[in-house]
Amino acid sequence: MILLERNPQAPRAWLGNLPVTSRYTFGLGGERFFRAIKDEGKILGTHCPKCERTYVPATIYCERCLGKLDEWVDVGSTGAVHTYTLLYENYDGSPREEPEIIAFVSMGDGGIVHRLGEIDPEEVEIGLEVEVVFKPKSERQGSILDIVHFRPVA
Amino acid sequence: MSMRKVAVVGAGMTKFVRRAQETPKELSWQASRMALQSCELTMDDIEAVCLGTAPDAFDGVHMNGEYLSDGAGAWRKPYMRSYVGGGTGVFVPIQGWYHVASGLFDVVLVLAEEKMSSFYPHAQAAFLTIFDHTTERALKPNLLWIFALEMNRYMTTYGISKEDIARVSVLHKHNAAKHPCALLGDADITVEDVLNSETLAWPVQRLDVSPVSDGAVAIILAAEHIAKRITDKPVWIEGVGWSLDTAYWTNRDLVYPRYVEYAARQAYEMAGITEPRKQIHIAEPYDPFDYKALHHLEGLQLAERGKAVELYISGAAALDGDMPVCPSGGLLGVGNPIAAAGLMKIAELFWQLRGEAGDRQVAGAPRRGVAQAWGDLMQVGTVVIMGR
Ligand SMILES: [Zn+2]
Repeated sequence: MILLERNPQAPRAWLGNLPVTSRYTFGLGGERFFRAIKDEGKILGTHCPKCERTYVPATIYCERCLGKLDEWVDVGSTGAVHTYTLLYENYDGSPREEPEIIAFVSMGDGGIVHRLGEIDPEEVEIGLEVEVVFKPKSERQGSILDIVHFRPVA
Repeated sequence: MSMRKVAVVGAGMTKFVRRAQETPKELSWQASRMALQSCELTMDDIEAVCLGTAPDAFDGVHMNGEYLSDGAGAWRKPYMRSYVGGGTGVFVPIQGWYHVASGLFDVVLVLAEEKMSSFYPHAQAAFLTIFDHTTERALKPNLLWIFALEMNRYMTTYGISKEDIARVSVLHKHNAAKHPCALLGDADITVEDVLNSETLAWPVQRLDVSPVSDGAVAIILAAEHIAKRITDKPVWIEGVGWSLDTAYWTNRDLVYPRYVEYAARQAYEMAGITEPRKQIHIAEPYDPFDYKALHHLEGLQLAERGKAVELYISGAAALDGDMPVCPSGGLLGVGNPIAAAGLMKIAELFWQLRGEAGDRQVAGAPRRGVAQAWGDLMQVGTVVIMGR
């Protein structure tokens, strides 16, 4: 059974939609975070000296004390796989031959959720050290997809 | 703090189904009417209405609270929708509770509804829109990811096998086979069946997951002096609690649900419970995925960290065990129309504590139970303690 399977005995229905399109801004924190990815190939966090936490992705405020954060730090290009999943289905519910690997990579006191690449699914494990792989600078647009994936540290 | 005692005096629910012919309003009306009939009240007796329903996207109507209002019985009454994502079904009775405990109203109708089948092609797609639009949505995340990432971290940290986690799904689906409103009850399912089901996002397989469903549940709350006139078997709301963890889920402890612990401690303190494992006789933890029931039992302080699975291995979690878990069949077995699924757990405690749960009645004339739900961006915990 795939996600899209429908019961042929199901009640009659018709299709309609809510026409909603949104135009999002990066925000004050996101503007600087994504500009650093695009222009410098760096991942930035922000540090709260009061709570002793470094937020990644960077934010302009601390969610614990609501203090304003202006200590921007380069958190480097590597992190450990905190946890991961192997996706055996595409978004539309169709099966995949090879699973897509999604990991939460710890950086600072937060981290980034992204794809893992250049590794066999069987070799992924929690704790694995991985590094970020960016697109070439000329192709970067200031998006989370400027990161191609993370790969094992050589 | 002076608060009035509040009882649940009536409950009703529709069948949970994959795609209901009824509109969301009609489902709401069916559940509300059943709840009224169960305690022989009419809308003339109801002073206010509380509605719980999760994202508008499922029913496909923006301002879904207004859309549902007529089926919910809100006509010319004080009416308000509350919403804390998947936690809504156990939060909306808390909203109803403070309406009555405060002295503002004596009798309140509480309704939760979800019709997830409206979302096309599949309700999962609606969940894409709950993620951060800049840092996450470009990766096309769905809910399975989050559960898979959390489940992997949880089972790896404690060394819990998938075989043992599958016991949760098996027990809940067995229990649901005894529930007349259940979508996925199955008296014959085995651990092997769960382990052989299709892998969606490893370690999550098809039968580790609750089904998207359509359905509605309603309960009636009354102040003490009214409750005693309505029924000789009122079931009291003894404690309530709710708590929120960070909305950025990578900043959260994936192994231990601290938001559930905080909510539970608030509720236990209000109920005067100091030893939950002795003083709670039935647990209805939120179980959209099998490992989640374990996670939440630990947050509810009903098991040591990493040890909740032992309740299933030892048989304590069974209907005739020392700590029956999800006697209703839970979301895994009865179904998961989001807000309605949470309120279903409250209705289950109502029926169990009155001895009206039929074939799935737990042993030993239980006196007190806990229901819990979880949601928002996976970080809200809502808890209600009920007793007789
Ligand atoms: Zn701070």
